Amino acid sequence: MICNQCQELISDYIDGSLELGEQVQIERHLGDCEACRAVRDDLLQIVHFSHQLPQHAPSGAVWTRIQADVAQQRGPWLRAFPWLTWLKTRRLDLSLPQMAATAAAIVIAVSAAVLFSRHESPQPQVTGAGAQGVSTAEAIPLSNSDFQQIEKQINRLSESVEQRKVEWDPELRSAFERNLLYVDQCLAECRHQLNDNPADDVSQELMLNAYREKVRLLEGFEHF
Amino acid sequence: MSKSKSRQTRPAAFSSSLILIASAGLLIAATGFAGPSGKFERTYSPQGAAHLTISNVNGRIRVAAWDKKTVSVRADAAPSVSIEDRVVGEDINISVKRNFRLSRADFEVSLPADSSLVLRNVIGNIEVQGVNGHISVNSIDSDIRLVRVNSPAIDVKVTSGDIYFDGELREGGSYSFQSMRGDLDVTLPGSTPFNLNARALSENINLGGFLSHLTGASRGTKGVSGNYLNGGSRLTLTTYEGRILLHKK
Repeated sequence: MICNQCQELISDYIDGSLELGEQVQIERHLGDCEACRAVRDDLLQIVHFSHQLPQHAPSGAVWTRIQADVAQQRGPWLRAFPWLTWLKTRRLDLSLPQMAATAAAIVIAVSAAVLFSRHESPQPQVTGAGAQGVSTAEAIPLSNSDFQQIEKQINRLSESVEQRKVEWDPELRSAFERNLLYVDQCLAECRHQLNDNPADDVSQELMLNAYREKVRLLEGFEHF
Repeated sequence: MSKSKSRQTRPAAFSSSLILIASAGLLIAATGFAGPSGKFERTYSPQGAAHLTISNVNGRIRVAAWDKKTVSVRADAAPSVSIEDRVVGEDINISVKRNFRLSRADFEVSLPADSSLVLRNVIGNIEVQGVNGHISVNSIDSDIRLVRVNSPAIDVKVTSGDIYFDGELREGGSYSFQSMRGDLDVTLPGSTPFNLNARALSENINLGGFLSHLTGASRGTKGVSGNYLNGGSRLTLTTYEGRILLHKK
């Protein structure tokens, strides 16, 4: 699988609506491709962030205006970023503040990605975690050896679970994927908050704890 | 010569066979199966306070204290489910054999109040009532209810699901409740001193009537720490996508 194919399917992967074979292909590709992992994490952040905002229905006039704007602009953008088709086809029911906040989140994520791709941080960064994805897209100013140990453990467990998962029945697989997604969303949110405020002790504590939870989850499914 | 040697060794071989058969019999006795009807029923008579471990995969676990000294475990399971039990002293270990499926088994347990519990599950709600021993609950996708519990130590971890606790904390005890995606709803007597460490990534912490008496507190949007009535037991509450709600009885 190449990056374009992966990014076309990644939103359906997050929704859990892919066929078994496609899921396996995506996960294999994510295990090897940092760029696609970053796209997945950004989408997770956006989905998670928008879920936290209050629900307000926009007026019909707002939708009409948005649809007209989208119709004008969608051609070149969709060709450049295939995964945007996912956003296009979803009914998000976002209010204006929600849309503004989501746009802000996208701008921050893109800016952060550009900055980190141009300047290498002098501080040690958390490294990738294999198939189930601890993102390397964003820098985390934590150099705790606990993180490195846990990440090694997550890599090992992820590989083991990936090998076994192919034989699971759909219900078991779905339970695993759903809960792994929850943990990854929490990790993404922790990273997001740490990027905003790297000195935040509570976010650091929560992040470390979320890593441990990921280990617990993987260990729980390792013996199926 | 060889014949007499053969005769001499026969009793020894016979007794070895008997020992082997007896050992196999003991092993089989210690290992139960849900059986073709899907029912598992056992009664154990521990000499002291029981330590019960249940490792389930998919299904409800209900545990309630009773006045008897025995431990009764019943499970309704799918016919394909294999349930094993092992008893060593006061340790009773019951586990559903794992395979590639989420085979269902629902457990009903009655035991003495001073028993200790270790409950593991993947999917299925867990309820514990009236138990006073150590409690450890480890699940993935479950709502957890602990009611009328007066335990020296409790550790509950669940990935997705709500945790409800209505009980008492003991002086010097340790109580930890964690859900990645679910509410923590904790009801305590107003006279219970404790050291609180509450963390909610969702920034949704409501300490109710306890907040005004919290001393030495550090209060942020995602975390609150402090001592209630000068502290005592350690109460750690952690949720990521959910609320922390503390109520006075």
